[in-house]
Amino acid sequence: MGQAAGNATERIAGEQHMPISMPRNILLVLLAATLAAAPVCQAAGTPINQESPKPAVSAPAALETGTASQAKADDDGYAETAPAPVADPLYRWNKFWFGFNHLFFSGFMRPLAKGYAIVVPRFVRTGLTNAYQNFIFPIRFVNALLQLNFTKAQREFGRFMINSTIGVGGLMDVAKADPNLQPGNEDFGQTLGSWGIGDGFYIVWPFLGPSSARDTVGLAGDAVANPLFWIFGPWAVYGDDNPWYLSYIVKAGDVFNNLPTTLETYDSVTKPAVDPYSAIKDAYIQYRRNAVSQ
Amino acid sequence: MLRSLSRLFASLALVTALAAPALAGAPTETLSVSIDKIIALLADPAYKNPDTRPAMRAKLLTSIDAVFDMKELSRRALGAQWNNFSPEQQQRFVTAFGQLLQNTYLDKIESYTDEKVQYLKEQDLGPGKAEVDTKVVGKGKEIPISYRLSDRNGWKVYDVVIEGVSLVQNYRTQFGQILVNESPDALIAKIAAKKS
Repeated sequence: MGQAAGNATERIAGEQHMPISMPRNILLVLLAATLAAAPVCQAAGTPINQESPKPAVSAPAALETGTASQAKADDDGYAETAPAPVADPLYRWNKFWFGFNHLFFSGFMRPLAKGYAIVVPRFVRTGLTNAYQNFIFPIRFVNALLQLNFTKAQREFGRFMINSTIGVGGLMDVAKADPNLQPGNEDFGQTLGSWGIGDGFYIVWPFLGPSSARDTVGLAGDAVANPLFWIFGPWAVYGDDNPWYLSYIVKAGDVFNNLPTTLETYDSVTKPAVDPYSAIKDAYIQYRRNAVSQ
Repeated sequence: MLRSLSRLFASLALVTALAAPALAGAPTETLSVSIDKIIALLADPAYKNPDTRPAMRAKLLTSIDAVFDMKELSRRALGAQWNNFSPEQQQRFVTAFGQLLQNTYLDKIESYTDEKVQYLKEQDLGPGKAEVDTKVVGKGKEIPISYRLSDRNGWKVYDVVIEGVSLVQNYRTQFGQILVNESPDALIAKIAAKKS
């Protein structure tokens, strides 16, 4: 009898504790959800891959290999440089937003970027980029772990520790001086790729630019792994007054800070091109496939 | 025991030392000689002088022509479509495409300042083909550039891969897209019409 009563009080005490530990639980649940999202994404990626060959130009079977190996020798002699072309079922949508992005960035934003590059010296722009890249180190670190690439994870961790301290909060990339601590660029799209998921199909997003079905899922994963998501997220880990749009302002600021360099890269692809749309599409897919294979 | 071990290591070291130069084979050798020659021309003060510049540029173009296999590059840029071109069209295509590449890349080559080229490794791409991986190191910038060469009476470049993006494949995607709706002649006209 007395024992039963004791149990009951314990249970009540336990129930009373529940609400207090709730916020921490939510964090854990979210973290678990992030990790659990990975297999879901994988499941989501597979059907995309199987459907996509329909509008592909040729050789749909090779799409499934994902990391199209270039070393595949063939009789016709040019096969080694001919991995499967990416499917483009949303051609009209893509072409429209490609044109829109071109007008917006290359037309409207270019003078602003040029002015910015003149007013703000290069070392300041590089410093800002370094600091932001250092700040979003969890994205690269988590993805290196998800790829089971512990060398890369170790490298990212080492870079973060050195640059956050000696590099004054990441403003200076001092770790780069060490050949073993070169900057990496792991992201969730590459992680999905390393798990054997192909590009899916090509898609151009307004403002964000060229992407693929797989890399779009990757962008969502990266957004969650970004510390900004946890600081300014809608659920406000630290109090309710944090305006959610601050994270977008920081991200847009980073895009603008890098715009002079981005436009340079854009020009180096589109200027020599006979068909700029196809040139950007192919350059994006080739660049990503190469990144996945490394 | 210790002595034989050290002898083993010594002989291993010797073998490695002898094998090292063999790693940098004929493709790397040919490529680096050509690149050195091009850099020497660009670094020559005569290149900056407006009077001697045209002559120097002619020399530069000859050096570049000598190391690039423009016909092979064109053939690969068209892929399977190459066979749908008549020999006469192929000829015109090679000329127009070569001119396009020259127009667009000469400026970049001429903007050379003091970048250094590092030769990283050489890969075998099958019989008579090789890839030479290099890194161009400039002011706070490093660009990985790989050259693919084939051996036809001497090693010549048929593709350049910058940051993982193959030039030939990029053009093949473009030309393939254009040839879906347009004739070979229209494509050649389009290439010829493109200035810089």
